[in-house]
Amino acid sequence: METATALQAKTVAIIGNPNVGKSSIFNQLTGLNQKIGNYPGVTVDKTVGFLRIGEKEINLIDLPGTYSLYPKSEDEVIAHRVLNGLGQEKPDFALVILDACNLERSLLLGTQVMDLGIPMAFVVNMKDLAFKKGIQIKTFELYKLLGVPLVLTDARNNEGIDAIRQLMSTEKFESPKPLLDSYAFADKVLVEEVMARFEFKNPYQAFQLLVFGEFDKTLPVADKEWLKEKSRVFGFDRKRQQVRETEARYVKIASILKKSVDRVKTESSNVTISLDNVFLNPVFGFVVFLGIMLLIFQAIFAWAAFPMDLIDVGFAGLSGWIYAHLPPGVLTDLLAEGIVPGIGGVVIFIPQIAMLFGFLAILEDTGYLSRVVFLMDRLMRPFGLHGKSVVPLISGMACAIPGIMAARNISNSKERLITILVTPWMSCSARLPVYIILIGLTVPDTLWMGISFQALGLLAMYLLGVLFTLLGALALKFILKTKEKSYLLTELPIYRLPRWKTVLLTMFNKSKIFVLEAGKVILSISIVLWVLASYGPSGKMQSIEEEKTAVLQTTPEAEWSAVEEMYASKKLEASFIGIMGKAIEPAIRPLGYDWKIGIALLTSFAAREVFVGTIATIYSIGGDVENELTIREKLAKETHSDTGEKVFDKATGFSLMVFYAFAMQCMSTLAVVYRETKSWKWPILQTVVMTGIAYLAAFITYQIFS
Amino acid sequence: MTAAQLSLQQSATIESIRESDISINFLELGILPGKEIKLLKKAPFGGPMAFEIEENIIALRQQEAIMINLKS
Repeated sequence: METATALQAKTVAIIGNPNVGKSSIFNQLTGLNQKIGNYPGVTVDKTVGFLRIGEKEINLIDLPGTYSLYPKSEDEVIAHRVLNGLGQEKPDFALVILDACNLERSLLLGTQVMDLGIPMAFVVNMKDLAFKKGIQIKTFELYKLLGVPLVLTDARNNEGIDAIRQLMSTEKFESPKPLLDSYAFADKVLVEEVMARFEFKNPYQAFQLLVFGEFDKTLPVADKEWLKEKSRVFGFDRKRQQVRETEARYVKIASILKKSVDRVKTESSNVTISLDNVFLNPVFGFVVFLGIMLLIFQAIFAWAAFPMDLIDVGFAGLSGWIYAHLPPGVLTDLLAEGIVPGIGGVVIFIPQIAMLFGFLAILEDTGYLSRVVFLMDRLMRPFGLHGKSVVPLISGMACAIPGIMAARNISNSKERLITILVTPWMSCSARLPVYIILIGLTVPDTLWMGISFQALGLLAMYLLGVLFTLLGALALKFILKTKEKSYLLTELPIYRLPRWKTVLLTMFNKSKIFVLEAGKVILSISIVLWVLASYGPSGKMQSIEEEKTAVLQTTPEAEWSAVEEMYASKKLEASFIGIMGKAIEPAIRPLGYDWKIGIALLTSFAAREVFVGTIATIYSIGGDVENELTIREKLAKETHSDTGEKVFDKATGFSLMVFYAFAMQCMSTLAVVYRETKSWKWPILQTVVMTGIAYLAAFITYQIFS
Repeated sequence: MTAAQLSLQQSATIESIRESDISINFLELGILPGKEIKLLKKAPFGGPMAFEIEENIIALRQQEAIMINLKS
C-alpha cells in the first residue's frame, strides 16, 4: 500500500497548544485509521492518521501539543524537527489549531509556524465558547492581516470538520509573509551561514536551529559544535534573543488582534471557578482526590478481575484445545505450554492498562488531572518527585506497567526517571496472591481489638511498599545528577465534559503499544522459561517419563492424578530450571529458602503470581491451583526431610514476603521500562539494585525471626 | 512586590518577569507585562499557587511566582 500511493499522498502536520482541541480534530478526521510509531532517538510517540477525501490520500501527522516552538522538552524538539524536515520528510502542509478564546497566546505558536515558510492554514477552534464569552472574530479581517486561510470550528460538536476536509482536499494552504524579520534577532551573516550549511531556504529556520541546536539529541555532535562555535563568534545570546523575539511577536499579534477581534462584555457564570472552590479546597480537595483514586484503584483491582479471569480461562482452554486436536510432539507442547500461555501473559494485562488509561483520559479531558498536580506537588517534592508523579505511583498499586507508561506526562527528565524507577516498589496486584498464601501460613488468624492480624499483615506489606518507594525516590534524588531545574508552570484548563471518542481511542492505542512493544520481550522470555522448565539433561527426563508410564499401568485409575502430580514434580526437579534452583540453593539458604522455593523464585520472573502455581507443582499439590486454601493447608504440613521442621515457618514466610516486596521479578515491567527510557541501562540497574536490596532485606528478616 | 506576595482574590498588574532560564515559559503561557494577575488559590503547606490571567488559570510554585514583579 505504501509504495504505489505514497507518491501522491500528501502529508499534513497538525500542531497546536495543549487543551486546544487538537486531538479532537485529529480523531474526528481520522477515526481509527491511526498508526503509532516512534520518532528516531526520542520517546515521543509519533501518531500518523490516514484519510481519503475523494481521490486524495492524506497522511496527517499529529504533533505533540506545545505553546511554542522553543526547546523545553523532547516534544517541542519534535515539532521543530518535523516542520523543518530534519531527519525526516518535511510535511507538505501545516494545519495550526488556534484557541478562539486565547487567540493571542495561540498565535504565538501560529505565527512562528508562519515564519517557517511552510504552506499552512489556521483552524480557529472552540468558536462556541468564544461566542459565549463575547469574543467576536472578524474572520475576513484576520485573514487579510495574517495572509493565512482560516476555518472556524467547534470540534467537540463536529462543527466545521467538513470545512477542514474541503480545505485539505483542495489544498487551499498558503505560504504567508513572515510576521517577524529574523535578521533583527541574529546577525545576517550568521543566519546565512546556518542556512547554507543546513540547506535551509528560510532565515527563521536558521534562527530556530541556533536556538534549538543544544537541545536536539538527534543532531550530530559536529553540527552542534559548529553551531556553538558560530554563536560564540557572533556573540549570539540564545536566551536573550529568544525573549526578544517573543516580545516582538506579542506586540505584532496584539496589533493584529486589535483590528480583527471585538469583545463585548457578557454576564457569564464561571463554572470552573466554582468547581475549583471544591476541588482545590485544602480539605475537600484532598477528600475528593482520595475518593477518585479509590474508585480507580477499585476498578483496576476488582473490576478488571472479571475480564482477566476470562482471558485466563480462554487461554487455558486454547492450550487444552491444542492438546486435544494436534498430534502430540514437541511443537504441540511448545505451542500449548510456551507460546499460548506466553501470549496470554501479555494479553492478561490489557484490561488493567485499558482501564487505567481510560480513567486517566477522562481525568485529563475534564481538566481534573492538572488539579491533582496542583494539590500533590508540595507533598511529592521532598522526595525528588513532581506533582505529576502521583498518578503513576498510585496506578503502580494495581500494576506497574500502566503506571510507568503514565510517567510520560512528567516533563522534567530526572523526575520522570525517578518515578519510573521507583514505581515497581508500589505493591502491585500480582504480589497479592503471594502475600495471601504466605500470610495465611505464618500469621495467626486471631483478632486484636476486633481487627484480624492477617489483615494487618497485608496492610503492613502495602505500607512497606509505599515507604520504600518514597525512600527509593529520596535516594535517587541525591544520586541522579541533572542540569535541568524543576519547575511548575502549568495551565489549569477549564472543566469540560469528557469526549468519549478520545477516551476510547486512548484506551485502544495504549493497549496496542503495550501488546506490540512490551509483548515481544515478554513472549520471548516466557518461551525461554518454558524450555528451561520442560527440558533437562538428556535421558533423565525420559527415564522419569518411562517410570511414570510403568507405574501408571500398575495403579488403579482413581489414583492416576496423584501419580501424575508426583511425576510432574519430579520432572520439574530434573529440568534445567530445577537444576538452576538447586544451584542457587547455597545463595538463598541464608534467606531460609530451599531449592524448591528457589525454583519458584526463578519462574516468578515471568510474573510474581506464578509463584503460586510453581509452588503447587513442586510440592505436587495439584488439583485446583486457584484454590489458595488447599495450597495453604498442604504447605502448612510440609517439613524439611532432614530436620523435620516446618518449611514455611514464620522466618521463611516473612523473609519470602519481604523478598517479593522488593525484588524486581517482573519482565513485563522491565520491557516497559526499556521502552520508556530507550536504554537497557535502567532496567538492568533496576533488576540488580531492587533484587540486591530484596536479598539483603530478606536476609535480615530471616535472621531476626529464626 | 511579586506575585508570591498577593493575598487571595487580590489583583495587580504585571510589571516585568525576572530574567531566568524559564522566563520564556512565562511569556509563552501569556504571563506578560501589562496583564492583570489575580491570586485564586493556594495549595496547603506552601504548595503551588493558582493565578487567573485573562480568564486562564495558571499554576506556579512559589519559587516561580516570585519571578513575577508587580506594579505597586
